[in-house]
Formats: sequence, structure tokens, C-alpha cells
Amino acid sequence: MIFCGEEIYQLIPQRPPIVMVDVVWFVSDTGAETGLTVLPDNIFVRDGVFREPGLIEHIAQSAAVYAGYGTFVRGEKPKLGFIGEIKDCELLILPPVGSELHTEIQLVTEVGGIRLIRAEVRVNEKVAASCQMKIFLKDD
Amino acid sequence: MNKNELIAKVNSVLAEEFEVEESIITPEANIKQTLQLDSLSLVDMVALIESEFGVKIQPADLAQVKTFDALYDYLAERV
Repeated sequence: MIFCGEEIYQLIPQRPPIVMVDVVWFVSDTGAETGLTVLPDNIFVRDGVFREPGLIEHIAQSAAVYAGYGTFVRGEKPKLGFIGEIKDCELLILPPVGSELHTEIQLVTEVGGIRLIRAEVRVNEKVAASCQMKIFLKDD
Repeated sequence: MNKNELIAKVNSVLAEEFEVEESIITPEANIKQTLQLDSLSLVDMVALIESEFGVKIQPADLAQVKTFDALYDYLAERV
């Protein structure tokens, strides 16, 4: 683990209650691994499960962690990121409260400041969600 | 893969991905206009070329690869 709790605020601009990453396991030039424990008071929990928008937001913030690590290393504030496109999205499991999400982000390619990433969210070793996402960071 | 095979494969995969008729892909045609690429779909083309041919078009080179002929040459030198 390299970041957890409020340390993650150094990588992403979101703040509670919208923070959907609570641990960063690994970041490299080509990807990142993050996690989230689904708590009962999570704003995306309904009827005891983490709903679809929460999964997408978790993936987007995991991608933002990957993108934000570069700005962190340079000593800069995290930049606002935007989702350009979501493709080949599969939401297979809605994780119940108490689940621990483990998410892998892989960079596919980067063109003109737009990053194409592939994401896979696992819960108890089972794939809960996957997609491709294009993200870009807003320059100050 | 010789150059004719390379050209045929490039045309085939791009036509299928971007849903255009292969017949409109000509050597002198502008890639962005022919495939109707915007900044987001341009990323898809680069990713597709990388996965199909194992060649990453470098950002600095992308501005030079404007026509299909330029793309064929770029790939032929690197495949």
C-alpha cells in the first residue's frame, strides 16, 4: 500500500462524500491498482449494494489516481479529470456493503493528452466490472 | 508481411472499426476526414494500430501521418 485514507487527496481532487477510492496499492508508468471498502453510508449504496454509478465513479477515480500520480510526483495539486468516453462496459456484480473492491487500471495508449485506459474491478477474486475509458486532465 | 498485404490489412481493420467502405480508403486520402475521426476516436485508431501491428504511433509523428499512404509507409518501416 502506498496511499490510504486522506493521503489520497494528494492524487485526486474529489472530497468526501464523493471519494470512491480509499487505498492505492500500486502506481507505475503504465497503470495502477486501487481499492475501496463499501461502507453502509456510501452515497452510492442503495438496498445494501454498491450501485452502478458508484462502480463507474470508482473506476473513474482509480483512473484519476493513475493520472494524478504524475502531478503529485511533480509537487503539483491534483487536476480535474474528465471522462471522454466509456466503452465495452460490463457491470456484472453489484458489491454488497462490506465488500472490498480491488481495481486494476492499465494504460492502453495516450494521444494528445487523452489517455485510453482499461479497468477491471474485482470483488473476492471475481470480476465485478470492466470497461475502457478515455480520460483527460484539465490544465490550470 | 509484404507491403501489399500490409495495405490490405490496414484498410480492412480501419474500415471495420470505423464503419466505412474500404473503397473510400485511397492512398492519398486524408485519414481523419475519411474515417471521420475526432480527438477521441483518433485515440481508438492509435490503439487499434498498436494492437493489430504492434506499432505505437508516437505523438510527434502523428502530425506527419496525415494520409493513408503516409500511414502505410510509417508501418512498413516498423512492422
